[in-house]
This record gives sequence, structure tokens and C-alpha cells, in this order.
Amino acid sequence: MDIKNNKFYQMWFKNAWTYVVGAVLLSLFQIVTLATTNDPWGVSGPFANWGAWLYRAVGGSVDKWYYFSSKGAQATLAGGFFKDAGSIRNLGVIVGALLAALLASQFKFKKIKSVKQVAAAVLGGLLMGYGARIAAGCNIGALFSGIASLSLSGWVFALFLFLGAMAGSKLLVKYFM
Amino acid sequence: MAKEVALDCMGEACPVPLIKTENALKKLDLGDVLVVQIDHSCAMKNVPEWARKEGHNVEIEEVDDGEWEIFIEKTK
Amino acid sequence: MSESNTSIRTSSRARTGTKKKKANQLPFGVVLIAGMIAFGIYLATISAKLALFWILGGCFGFILQKSRFCFTASMRDPYLTGSTSVTRAVLIAFAVTTIGFTAIKYGAYIKGLPIPGQGYIAPISLATVVGAFIFGIGMVIAGGCASGTLMRVGEGFGMQLLSLFFFVVGSLWGAHDYGWWKLNFMMNGPKIFLPDVFGWAGAVAVQLLVIAALYIAADKWENRKLNADSNH
Repeated sequence: MDIKNNKFYQMWFKNAWTYVVGAVLLSLFQIVTLATTNDPWGVSGPFANWGAWLYRAVGGSVDKWYYFSSKGAQATLAGGFFKDAGSIRNLGVIVGALLAALLASQFKFKKIKSVKQVAAAVLGGLLMGYGARIAAGCNIGALFSGIASLSLSGWVFALFLFLGAMAGSKLLVKYFM
Repeated sequence: MAKEVALDCMGEACPVPLIKTENALKKLDLGDVLVVQIDHSCAMKNVPEWARKEGHNVEIEEVDDGEWEIFIEKTK
Repeated sequence: MSESNTSIRTSSRARTGTKKKKANQLPFGVVLIAGMIAFGIYLATISAKLALFWILGGCFGFILQKSRFCFTASMRDPYLTGSTSVTRAVLIAFAVTTIGFTAIKYGAYIKGLPIPGQGYIAPISLATVVGAFIFGIGMVIAGGCASGTLMRVGEGFGMQLLSLFFFVVGSLWGAHDYGWWKLNFMMNGPKIFLPDVFGWAGAVAVQLLVIAALYIAADKWENRKLNADSNH
């Protein structure tokens, strides 16, 4: 059974899909998400919870923070990772991507190559994490979902995201390449 | 005599392979072939796309799990 | 044309003489599918919602990886490489999702039901501006945005695993400061839901027109750079 030469295997699992196909499918599942979960897709929200759990694990407490003060937030923190729907969804994204790579036989561990990459990952991660919290979302929640929800905030986010990306590109080429 | 130059971009993050490819291609003569070695799934799309738009001959080959070689023949 | 192809082919065979025998990862993929289904069933015993989120996440991750979809590239490439193919795809996503979302929201509205997803109509303030700007810097430097980072963790990139960890740290830090931003800026920021300004049909029309205009601009931008180069 030579699956690797099967035309459908090639088309659906082996070859990369076009950006437009990706756009349409992501839209489809965004719509499914809003229809079935009552909210659009978001990615960065759960990261604050992960931070809170890690912080608690090393003895810290977020219980007096405004951000976690609502009943809903407290309940989510109390329930833990595996009861937090947003966290499960994010885990799903990781595993879904892994699956796609494995089924195409394209998975590979790519180790960090240099100190520059470490610096880039640390700085980039911190900026994204902080920025997403105060902008109330990331490229998915604030940008994609915000715009699609007909919120002007999505467009404002888009404009400054674009400007930030320009600044980031300059920094990338100058310091991190 | 057309020469072949290898460009090792293994382990590089987006968009470094593309930027390095652009810079390397500038230094080549017409007819030379640049062999870009990558293990980044985005690069196996955006590097050939860019090179084709620039008018070069491009071929891509998967050489191992998650590793590709992109052959760009400078034609302009 | 065929001559140049031949020369490429020859060097390909010469170069990849050291090609390793490719492992077949499909069996691992199949095992993973089984694992994902099992985990989904387990989650369903706790709540159907968790199983649903698991499935949706898996679908998003799969689609992102297969199409190499990257919001970072959509914002970065026009400036850095002159390419707008991802930008245009993102605009298509905005347009299609807008239509679907509006249908759902309007459907609820005319039935007198609460409109879903209105929590994502965020207040516009300096916090939005600063947050978006630094997120933009961060995502380009880190080589991936929020969804892109998760996708790349799944693809095995060590760098994005590190980036994810600090994304979490940064999120905690942001959560810590959130109260201050809320008090000083967010509280005074207007939440603008476009149908409140233009009416439902008007809002959709305006937004789709803006998206179409941006699409045309993006297309022109990409071809402008090429036209400039070809004049050398």
C-alpha cells in the first residue's frame, strides 16, 4: 500500500496548502467557534493564567491583582490547566500543528542556534505577552477576532501592529540576524 | 563557468532565510545557482515564491524530514 | 529553459548524494491521532465544552501548519521583503469571517437575544496603541505571533518554545500592570461597535470596502517593487 504516491495523500497531507485556502478555512473555524462557544477565537488570554499558575508554583500569589479579581478569573485559576477551555484549545493548536507535520513526514526538532536567537525569543516573547494583555488581545483576539467582530479597536490594533512590525523588522535586521 | 553556491540557513527563524537568500543572490553572477538549505516550513514557501517573482528559475527538493534544498538559478 | 533545468537537476543529484534515508513519520501521526481522540473522549467526560475547544484548537493548529499561515508575515513582509501574498490572504480571512460573524450577531440581534462575542469589542485607548505596537515589535523579533508561536512549538522549534515561555512571563507581567492601564486609559476608552455607527448593513459594507481597498493597495505594492526592479 503505497500511500505516499496517492494523489489525495499528496494534496491533503503532504503538500503545503495555499495561503488563501488557509485563510478560508481559518475563517470557517472562526465562525464555527463563535457559533458554538459564544465567543470568537483567542490565544493569548490563557497565557496569563499559565503565568499565574507558574507563579503560584514558586510561591507567588496573584489573588490581590485586579486582573484576576473577578469571580470568573478566580474560578478559572482554581480549576487548573486541564479545566480551562482556552488552555485546552491552545494545547490543541500545538498538537494539531504537530500532527500536520508528522502526517507530512516533515517534523524535525530545531534546536536554538545562537545567543542572538535566545535574546530574540526572550525579548520578543516578553513584548508580545505584555502587549497582548494591555491591548486586550493578540493577533488573533484583538486583530483577527476584533476586526471580524466589527470593532473599531481591531483596526486601531492593526495599524499599530503594522507600525510595530516595521520597527521590529529594523531591529531584527540590525541586532538579531 | 556557472558556479553553485550553498547557503546554509538551517535553524534560522523566519524571515532570516529569505533575507539571507536575497543578499546572497545579489552577489552571484547570471547563471549561478544558489542552493539554500532550510528546515523552516515557512521558508520552503516564501523563498521560492520570492525568487520566482524576481524571475529566477527555482526548484525545491525535500531532502529529509523537515529539510529542504531550494535551487535558485539567477537569470536576471 | 530546459537547459537551465538540466543544470539544476545535475547539481541536485550531486549535492544530495549524501541524502539520508527519509524516515516515515506517518505511523507516529496515526498514533497521535489515536491519542488526540482518546484525550478528547476523556475531556468530554469532564465537559463537552472542553472536548469542543480541544477539537477546535486541533483544527486551527492543523490549518495553520499546512498553509504556513503567519500573521507576522502579513504585517512584516510588505516592509521587509515587499511581498504581500500573506497580507492579502489575511485580508481575505478578515472579509470572510466578518460576513460569518455578522450573520451570527445579526441573527441574535433580530431575535432579541444577547449578541455573542461582544466582549471582543474592546475599548480604544493608549493601552491599545502601545500594546499593539510592542506586540508588533515582539512578534517580528521572536519569529512568530501568538498563533504562530504555538504552531512552531508543534513543529519542533526550540526557539519558539523559549519564546512561548517568555510570552507567558510577559503576560503575567501585563496582567500585573493591567489594573493601572485600565484605571488610567482603558476605562476612558470608547468601545466602538461599527453597526452602532453605520447600522448593520452599513458597517459590513464599509468594512468590506476598506478591506477591498487594502487588498488592491497590497497587490499594487507588491507589483510596484517588482516593476521598479525590472527597470534597472
